[in-house]
Amino acid sequence: MRIALTLLAAASTLAVTACGPATDKASAPKSEAARDAAGDKTIAGSFGGDDSKFADAAKATGLDATLAGPGPYTVLIPSNAAFDKLPAGELDTLMKPDSRAKLTKLLTAHILPGEILAADIAKAIDNGKGKARLATFGGGTLTATRDGDHIILTDAAGGKAVITSSDQKMSNGVVHHLDGVLAPG
Amino acid sequence: MRKHLLAASAAALILGAPALADKGGGGHGNGGGQAAHADRSNGGNGGGQAMRAERGGGGNGGGHQMRQADNAGRAFRTERQPRGRPTFAAATGHDRGQGHANREVIHAERVQGRERQVALRELRGHSRAIEVRDANGIESLRVASRGFANDFGRGRGLIDGCPPGLAKKDNGCLPPGQANKLLGARLQQSFASSLLPYQYRSWYRDDPNYLYRSGDGYIYQVSRSTGIVDGLIPLFGNGDYYSVGQAWPDPYNFYNVPYQYRSYYPDTSDYAYRYGDGAIYRVNSGTGLVDSIVALLAGDLGVGSPLPVGYDVYNVPFSYRDRYYDTADNWYRYNDGYIYQVNPQTRLITAVINAIV
Repeated sequence: MRIALTLLAAASTLAVTACGPATDKASAPKSEAARDAAGDKTIAGSFGGDDSKFADAAKATGLDATLAGPGPYTVLIPSNAAFDKLPAGELDTLMKPDSRAKLTKLLTAHILPGEILAADIAKAIDNGKGKARLATFGGGTLTATRDGDHIILTDAAGGKAVITSSDQKMSNGVVHHLDGVLAPG
Repeated sequence: MRKHLLAASAAALILGAPALADKGGGGHGNGGGQAAHADRSNGGNGGGQAMRAERGGGGNGGGHQMRQADNAGRAFRTERQPRGRPTFAAATGHDRGQGHANREVIHAERVQGRERQVALRELRGHSRAIEVRDANGIESLRVASRGFANDFGRGRGLIDGCPPGLAKKDNGCLPPGQANKLLGARLQQSFASSLLPYQYRSWYRDDPNYLYRSGDGYIYQVSRSTGIVDGLIPLFGNGDYYSVGQAWPDPYNFYNVPYQYRSYYPDTSDYAYRYGDGAIYRVNSGTGLVDSIVALLAGDLGVGSPLPVGYDVYNVPFSYRDRYYDTADNWYRYNDGYIYQVNPQTRLITAVINAIV
C-alpha cells in the first residue's frame, strides 16, 4: 500500500509502534498483527511498475538476491522518472558490465538496515531538532529533514530526494519511493 | 572508560610511527561465556532485559548457543597450495578502504607520569568515536572533542591501519600477494590475544575447532589443533562490494558466513557462500565467479561501542516491535541479524538481546 506521508499520520502510527513505557508486552510472543501487516511478497518479488529501472539495476548487480532474501531491509526506490533525471546516458553507462561496482554502490546507497517506517523517521527528526541521520549499506549516511508534510532525504553530496510514497511493507522489509536518485556517501 | 580522555590527548604527540603491534598474553582471554544468544527457535524468550545478554568485553569465547552449521568445507578450493594472487585485486584494481576509510594514528600520551603509545582508530560511521588500542589490544573507547580529523590531523594518520599507499590494496596493509603467506602459517604472536573488533564479535566466535583473532585489517580463523591460520577474512566494506562476474579471491575462499546467517546460506554442490567486504556472496562453485549478492551486512553495531550517528532512527523489524520499543531507559536498534540495546544517555550499546535471522 502506497500512502503519501503526512506528519499527522506519522505521529499517530508512532504512538502505537515505536515508543511507550515498558509493560508486560515484553514477554508477549511476536505480534501476529505485525506479521500479518507485512506482505507475502519479498521486496524483489514486489518489483513491477514504476520501479522497473531500479529492478533492472538490482538484477544487473545481483542485489535482487539480497532483496529476495531474509532481510530485513528498508529500501528507498527511485521512480523511473527519477532515474530519467540523471545526466543523459549515465544510467546506460552504469548498466554496462564494467560499471557494476559503481552501480552496486549506487544501489546500496538506497538500502538501509532494518525496517524503518516514515513515522520512525519523523520521530527521529523531531528528536534530532529537525534532522535525523540514516546509515546506508553504501557506506554513507543520509540526512532526513521535513519540508511541510514531506520527508526529504539528503545525500553526502547535497543531493535531495523526496519520499513520495511510504511504508510499503513486504515480507523482508519495507519500501519507500523517491523522486530522485541519491548519490553514494 | 573515558578517564584518560582528552586532557591527555591535548598534550599528546602525534607520531608518524608504524601501527602499534599487539603483544601476546595481554590478559584478554577469549572465554567470555556470557555471549549466549537467543535464536528465533527460542521464540518468546521474554523481554529484552530478561534475555541472555552479551556484555561488553566478553570476548570471542564459547558458551553461545547460536545455530552453527558445521560447514567449514571449501566448495571450490580443493588445494591450499600453490596459491595465486588475490584474483579480485588483480582483476579490478579499484580501491577499497578509500574515502570512507577508518583512520588510525599512533598517539603518545602520559598517564600517571608514564608515557605510553596507543593506537587511536576512528570508528566507521562515527565522527568522534575513537577506539583505543594499547599493546594488549582494544582498551577503551574515547570521544574526540572536535572529531577525529580535527583532533588528530587529517592525512597524518594511517588509513584502515595501513600506510596510505597500502591502504588502497584489497588485502589489508599487506603488499599484493603477501596475504597468501599468512595462510597455512602460524598466527603472528602479536595477534594471539587480539580480540575481534566489537562489531564482529557476534559474527565469529571461538568454537571447538577454531579461534578467531584480528590484526592488520584481517580476521584470522586459527585452527585450535594446529595453531595454523586456516582462513582470512578482510575487514573492509564501506560500500565497496565485489561485483557479479568477478572471481572470488582465493585467499578468502573458505566457509566464512557469519554465524547468524549460516542456516540460510550453507554451501551446496552448485554454490558456495562467502562473506567479504560487507556482504555475503553466492559464488558459482564451478567457475569461482561471484553470482549474486545475497545479503548486505553493515558491521556497524557491537556491544561496548557507541551507537553510530546513522542510527538515530528506530529500525527494529515489525515482528519484534511489541517487545523492543524505545523507552527512556533503553533504545533498541537492529543490525546484521541482531537487535541491540542502547543506553539513551550514553549512547553506548549495552547488550545484544536477540538474533532474529
